[in-house]
Amino acid sequence: MNWRLRSTFTCYTIVLPSLVLLFTFVYLPVVWAFSKSLYEFEVGSPARFVGLSNYTEYLFSDPTCWPSLLNMLLLTLFAVVVRLTFPLVVARLIYALPSERGRHFYRILFLIPIVVPGVAVQLIWMGLIYGDRGLLNELLRLVGLGGWAAGWLSEPHTALAAVAMVGFPFIGGFEVLVYYAGFASIPTSVNEAALLEGCVGVRKFLLIDIPMVLSQVKLILILTIIGGVQSFQNVFILTRGQPGFVTNVPGLWMYLNAFSFQRMGYACAIGVLLFLVILVLTVINLKYFKSAEQLQGKAS
Amino acid sequence: MSPAKRLLVHVVLLAFAMLTLLPFAFMLNNVFRTNSEFYHSFFSLPRSFRELAALGTDALRGRSGEVEIKDAEGQVLTVTRGEAVAHWWDQATRGIRRSWVVIRPYMLNSFIVSLTTAFGVALIGSVTAYILARYRFVGSKLVFVFIISTMMFPGVLTLVPSFLLVKKMGLLNTYWAMILPYIAGGQVFAIFVFKSFFEGLDEDLFESARIDGAGHVGIYWHLVLPLSKPAFSVVVIMNLLGTWNNFLWPFITNTEGKCHVLASGLYNLARSPHASNFSTVYAAYAVSSLPLLVLFVYATKPFIQGMTSGALKA
Repeated sequence: MNWRLRSTFTCYTIVLPSLVLLFTFVYLPVVWAFSKSLYEFEVGSPARFVGLSNYTEYLFSDPTCWPSLLNMLLLTLFAVVVRLTFPLVVARLIYALPSERGRHFYRILFLIPIVVPGVAVQLIWMGLIYGDRGLLNELLRLVGLGGWAAGWLSEPHTALAAVAMVGFPFIGGFEVLVYYAGFASIPTSVNEAALLEGCVGVRKFLLIDIPMVLSQVKLILILTIIGGVQSFQNVFILTRGQPGFVTNVPGLWMYLNAFSFQRMGYACAIGVLLFLVILVLTVINLKYFKSAEQLQGKAS
Repeated sequence: MSPAKRLLVHVVLLAFAMLTLLPFAFMLNNVFRTNSEFYHSFFSLPRSFRELAALGTDALRGRSGEVEIKDAEGQVLTVTRGEAVAHWWDQATRGIRRSWVVIRPYMLNSFIVSLTTAFGVALIGSVTAYILARYRFVGSKLVFVFIISTMMFPGVLTLVPSFLLVKKMGLLNTYWAMILPYIAGGQVFAIFVFKSFFEGLDEDLFESARIDGAGHVGIYWHLVLPLSKPAFSVVVIMNLLGTWNNFLWPFITNTEGKCHVLASGLYNLARSPHASNFSTVYAAYAVSSLPLLVLFVYATKPFIQGMTSGALKA
């Protein structure tokens, strides 16, 4: 392509708004996250330099630290498993349909729920699994299992599982679209070769289709992991970490420290630690999980 | 594929779809039901609908005369059929009317914040992407790296310091506390999409525009804008979707509750005394889904494109 050297000054003037906004609202908060994590302060009162003691306090003397990390790990693992299976199977079934109209219909059908605000979805789910007059309990009573009815979100031994199960059957329109795009881009020659070799059905799904959509699987994997480590909106809305601390996650603890207990420096330190966890996981993912293109590149 | 197998695939997909859509069916059903229906016949369809349907079939069969209805206090009234229709219609839409009073300001705020953000992201993102895609200048690569490096920083790292920042800037409880950070963050994905789109445009067009003496503004306005409608619709739709759904940031920055948007407003509504009327809450959820539903139906194709191009984000 024919590139033109133009006045550098003009170019910088034009990209300036972008850079100023990014500097102010992204880079500055990033720097602050690190610097303020070294201080103990409430909003409006003078800060006291405490070095790394916010970090050591969280990791070694905060009783919520390890249980909440375990919760985060369990919720993330569960999310990874269900988001790598249910939407993948649904996308493969849609891809198997012979008519383009049918495939389009199902893709739209599974995508429609994204018009409902996420908060509303979580609040509706609260109504579904609520102890008193929730849909799940009413269904149990309807089929004569009323004895099993429980306050799923409020009882210590079911609360975490209830949080994890919100969103069942976990078929997000986004995931379905991404996987479907992967299946749709499998070359016809591959499908024809598989057919000639007599590789069909579940065997083809496991041996050919899944390896061919590995880069999509990798994308969903990385997004689910990042989301699992940092997001706490679901827990915030559903339980606020209750009962006791059984559904607490580090992100929520950061939020509560900042906005309920006014411990801004401590909250920043938790944020930095979560960032480091995400960074390490992302690097591992990029390094050790090869995408389909890379695998093909190696084979040829 | 054999017909039996095809049928099986349809059955499985429809079963999954029904399970996925069940919460929303539950929501819609409760929009039109009273609390007493909720408590006494949990699985029924709205009584008002059944009564209206009965009145409708009666009308078709040519039945006339007065009918009996029970009012809120449990008294039986004898009214004309017209009045009965009005009564049941009133009951069916009560939740929507009550919720609308509460969420109207939230809806307005959501529109102001989302549309301003989408406009800002489309404008700033496309202008910056145009320069980065079509010109090479001292440090242009560095500028691009400066921009995409921000994707490395997750929201959880910047949430608390961003709050401290907008507080220090005196922006709490204003629209700008939402709009400015949203534009700053949203433009990155936009620049990505625009840049790859602009790089695909034919250099000859730009060359001839420059020979005709067009400046940056002229090229942007007469060349880039008309050619890039698909990129703009993807960017705008993805941005609207993100802003509309964002809950935590508006919830945190509206310490005095002045500028609540739908997401944060719905959360407050669900915890307010209004929530004792189930139909009010469920109607609020349903009504706040309408704007995106309209957008989805109107622009299905860019919606799907945007979703799959979301792959770029990783």
